[in-house]
Amino acid sequence: MSSTSFDREVIKDCIVAVGDEMFEAVIRTSMSPIIYETTDFAVGATDARGNLLAQGNGVTAFLATLDTAVQDLLNHYPEPGDIAEGDAFITNSPYCGGGTHLSDVVIIVPVFHDGRLIAFTVNKAHWTEVGGAQPGSVSTESTEIYQEGLHFRFLKLYSGGELNKALVQIIRDNVRLPESTIGDMHSGVAAARVGAARIRELAAKYGVESVLEAMEDLLDYGERMTIEEIRKLPAGSFKATDIVEGDGLGNGPFEIQCTVTIGNDRITADFTGTSKQAQGPINCAYTGLITGARCLFKAVTNTEIPANGGCFRPLEVICPEGTVISATSPAPVSLYYESLIAAIDVMWKALAPAMSDRLSAGHQRTVGANFISGMHPDTGELFVMGQPLVGGWGASAGVDGDSGQFCCGNGETYNVPVELFETRYGLQVEQYAFHNEAGGEGQYRGGKGVVLDYRVVSPEVFLTYAASRTEARPWSIEEGLEGSTNYAKVLRKSGEEERYSMCTMVRAEQGDCIRLVSATGGGYGDPRQRRRADIEKDIKNGYLTRERAADVFGFSG
Amino acid sequence: MKVRPIARAASDVGGTFTDLVLYRVGKAGGEVRCSKVDTTPPDFEVGVMSSLEKLDLAPSELDFFAHGCTVVINALTERKGAKTALITTRGFRDVLEIARGNRPDLFNFNFRKPKPFVDRYLRLEIPERTTYHGEIQEPVDLSSLPEQIDYLKSEGVEAIAVAFLHAYINPSNEQRAAEEIRRLWPEASVIASHEVSREWREYERTNTTVLAAYVHPIAEAYIERLQASLERGGFRRSPYMMQSNGGITTAEAAKHNPIAMVESGPASGIFAAAYLGKLIGEPNLIVLDIGGTTAKCALVENGRVRVTTEYHIEKTRKSPGYPIQTPVSEIVEIGTGGGSIAWVDAGRKLHVGPQSAGADPGPAAYGRGGTRVTTTDANLVLARIDPHSFVGGEVDPDWSSVNRAFASLEDVLSLSREEIARGVVQIANANMVNALRLVSTNKGHDPREFALIAFGGGGAMHALPLAEELKVRKVIVPVNSSVFSAWGMLLTDLRRDYVQTRPLYFNADNHPQVLETFAQLRKKAETDYVSDGVISTARELAFEQHGDMRYEGQEHTVKVPLKLSGQVVEQELEAATEDFHQAHEQRYTYRLDNPVQIVNFHLVATVEVDKPELAERKPSGRTLEEALLGAREVDFHPYGRHEARIYDGALLDSTMSVAGPAVIQEASVTLPVPPGRTVTLDRHGNYHIELKQPGKETGEQA
Repeated sequence: MSSTSFDREVIKDCIVAVGDEMFEAVIRTSMSPIIYETTDFAVGATDARGNLLAQGNGVTAFLATLDTAVQDLLNHYPEPGDIAEGDAFITNSPYCGGGTHLSDVVIIVPVFHDGRLIAFTVNKAHWTEVGGAQPGSVSTESTEIYQEGLHFRFLKLYSGGELNKALVQIIRDNVRLPESTIGDMHSGVAAARVGAARIRELAAKYGVESVLEAMEDLLDYGERMTIEEIRKLPAGSFKATDIVEGDGLGNGPFEIQCTVTIGNDRITADFTGTSKQAQGPINCAYTGLITGARCLFKAVTNTEIPANGGCFRPLEVICPEGTVISATSPAPVSLYYESLIAAIDVMWKALAPAMSDRLSAGHQRTVGANFISGMHPDTGELFVMGQPLVGGWGASAGVDGDSGQFCCGNGETYNVPVELFETRYGLQVEQYAFHNEAGGEGQYRGGKGVVLDYRVVSPEVFLTYAASRTEARPWSIEEGLEGSTNYAKVLRKSGEEERYSMCTMVRAEQGDCIRLVSATGGGYGDPRQRRRADIEKDIKNGYLTRERAADVFGFSG
Repeated sequence: MKVRPIARAASDVGGTFTDLVLYRVGKAGGEVRCSKVDTTPPDFEVGVMSSLEKLDLAPSELDFFAHGCTVVINALTERKGAKTALITTRGFRDVLEIARGNRPDLFNFNFRKPKPFVDRYLRLEIPERTTYHGEIQEPVDLSSLPEQIDYLKSEGVEAIAVAFLHAYINPSNEQRAAEEIRRLWPEASVIASHEVSREWREYERTNTTVLAAYVHPIAEAYIERLQASLERGGFRRSPYMMQSNGGITTAEAAKHNPIAMVESGPASGIFAAAYLGKLIGEPNLIVLDIGGTTAKCALVENGRVRVTTEYHIEKTRKSPGYPIQTPVSEIVEIGTGGGSIAWVDAGRKLHVGPQSAGADPGPAAYGRGGTRVTTTDANLVLARIDPHSFVGGEVDPDWSSVNRAFASLEDVLSLSREEIARGVVQIANANMVNALRLVSTNKGHDPREFALIAFGGGGAMHALPLAEELKVRKVIVPVNSSVFSAWGMLLTDLRRDYVQTRPLYFNADNHPQVLETFAQLRKKAETDYVSDGVISTARELAFEQHGDMRYEGQEHTVKVPLKLSGQVVEQELEAATEDFHQAHEQRYTYRLDNPVQIVNFHLVATVEVDKPELAERKPSGRTLEEALLGAREVDFHPYGRHEARIYDGALLDSTMSVAGPAVIQEASVTLPVPPGRTVTLDRHGNYHIELKQPGKETGEQA
């Protein structure tokens, strides 16, 4: 077989395709709907030092959690021979090389060629159950991590090909759904092995040295492409502050500060000044912050090329230990994602005014997770429904914001069709529509949030809901107006209503209505500059009343 | 109806070329002729007629005409359809715009999802409600319709989609509304969701209905123009239209539900591959169709093509696209074809596709103004394509244009023309291998049980290195491979798919309901075919039953063939459940003890059409030397440069075998045979290349 100057290109493409293959393998083998349907997982490969080569993501919030896990693995096993062929490692620690919560479990498989460690394949997936105080290992009220489930730190699940049966038994005996939890564990190992086999095949076909050179090359390519983009960005220092309203226990608000400095070939994000870690589960560990910073860094540099470690060489993240976004053990972290998303958003807010061609104004900034449990009226059996909610994204230069999208921490996340939802849960959906709350107006307006009404048809149900952006509104750019807020309401048959930003197990009865409302995104530019035709179109489309048009846009006609 | 024509033609309109295949049976036996002309958007029938003229063929000579066209997909992708409105259940008009909320372009924080085909001011609501049990909770209130129709008229609307919640299970509210709209406004195109889909998922069904209404006027007009053109030429019958499900249907039915034609081109090639596979004893095939703009990959397992309703248009790694809930053969399509453009990014990385030079200007070598290197140009530079028979010998390659196109890449990459050409071929191949893996190994199939069948203009050219990479057993290049899709239309039956969502636990209690549901679908199929005049009695229909099944608690389903007679309930339930467990295990690697549910009932109703016997190529008595056209030096990258013997494929027969290095050429087909490989022909003239993977298996099977 003749080799060419393009072998290396093809090897690189194959390494990137390994990410796709492992992604399919997880979907194919996992046993939890949250993995194979909500794609709450990521897969990837690193080189022997833990530099990210390729990644397949279902959600953005796992971006920095694979390579940092491998890097921390290497810290735990520093001696030659510590890591051997046939090993597989398991970790879910939020505090080192993890950054999320205990439900997200990482599997790492080392890849050897002729006895030499050449790479790692790794994946991280949200298991339905890892034990802890609450079913599903989700809590809005935990005060220590010990209440949130089992905690593994870089344990050998396989040693030289031998399964660690004692460890499996400990997991089995401490979770509520042992079959699916153990199934997910095997799925993670299987997916990582699929990738490992492919990398070994590449080494066999092209020679190990060619593959290692291609890995280096891939990282350099990522760095080169990224620096090209950094040079197109305005140099300078950009600062923003925002808040996360509560921690689930009634404490707050928590301030997040960020100063972004863009140099010639480097970007620094400094979060010094952020509030201390919270008592409740809103905390996010340092690796989670790295993920957040990388997400935004990637958004402003280059979304065209697949992410690898080289792309992130020009990024530096600074944050003192012990803040709400760099929390240390034993801080509870179950709702870490709200703070992680807020960290992305603050960095976004700092940069957007300077690069509104790459970034829109503020969005709903919450997963809007809502959980409802009760008895299904057909079967009398318990149902537990949990889903995120779409909301409004912000406007950017020249374009209105997008309406009804999941937040920046999600990605390949899908809403549940109403027709499936009603069949599966004891709730009837009465509307799923854009709302018309004031906010987000501008020369270009924010995208619309939604209102989702569930009519309770079972005798009783219980609502758990956690959101941020319940008081502080999605920010605008220039003279655009801020968006609206996220909240949940229970509209009682009696005519009374209650409003919530975070709540656990609130009871509602047959005939009551649970209303979820997501924020409309922030506007861009002075509303008085909005084109008349666009205002007329908004009125025609029912997004705007004539009164509001007169008030905000000075529109008459 | 058993059609027994003597001259049959099939016409396939692709993005670049319009192909025609004629099969004529005379006293001397069967005769096959083909022609290829440029596609002529938007008046596609012009190209169709000139493909006939090219063979000096008058429509009056034809007894049967099947047609696959891109008119529907073009109207959609070019946004040339009718101004469309949506009427839906109160509270849900924004479903069409909210869509599923996913953002495939994960790190784009300036993302905009694809715009809905109906703006909000044309999305109207009426009071009505059906429950998930199919009970009418609130009868439809038609009183607002006259005013709403007046409004839509004043807005210049031409087509109306009607889509109500849970209409898949009970369409009566939706039917009443559609009837009333048609009564109030007979001139408008009106399509109700239950007429195009009986499956749940309101966004997918609503969007399907909207797109169906959007293309309805343009598709109807096209079919009528085609009918008129054929009639003017003396064609006395009505043409059959190819659908995305791999079957043909009557022109009248196609006008009624044009969205079913959305992916008709690729479907016929895949079904033809399955048909051919059965004939030559190859039931397991990985199918690769390389055209001018894209390559399409599909899987045939045990002679069966997977037909699903999970189809999307414009879905990419960056966009969720638009779902269309209509039966389409499962395909992975990538932007790599003969016309794909090679380009270099800011990091000096060479890419091939997805942008294509199409037919106009086409590859640089066409000399029609194409200024950029395409896959075809690279194959020409490597002498894999014979410059003397370029585009069937009709065009002399424009070398100065080729050299200019390569010069720009030579500068950026500091490499020679040949090195770049090899790179373009290598990268195009790597793209295709990754797509082929998606339909095969990544879905739980062992490639060693499969043969790769390659066709389309570029299929033969690229098949071998791809097959080696995939580790399949052998490669098959069918006779007339460049017009194989058109040929496939002569091999398909009339086919209709009926998919009905009705979630039920799959157990003895529900068995009567399961049987009853299939019986209702069969009844519907009979009524449809009879009222179309296709058949006079139900005896002419053949049925296949499938269930989309899952474990309780899951969302995704697996399609399982169901043989249910209702005779021995326990036994047949057990057998069907075991089939599901096995299918699930193959697809997802495990089985569960959970109760099994059936979600969708899928009935396939076909009417057999007489097919041409595949022509046999009798041993000619010629020697291999007589088929030799000459010799030239060919770059077989990745197998090096070699002096190759060039053979005329039309003169080969089953007594001969061709050893590499060689190139077999037909009018629009080039099959490079690298050193160490041998091509044999079967009695029909299809090429076979066995691949015994050299050396030991590398890499473990996961």
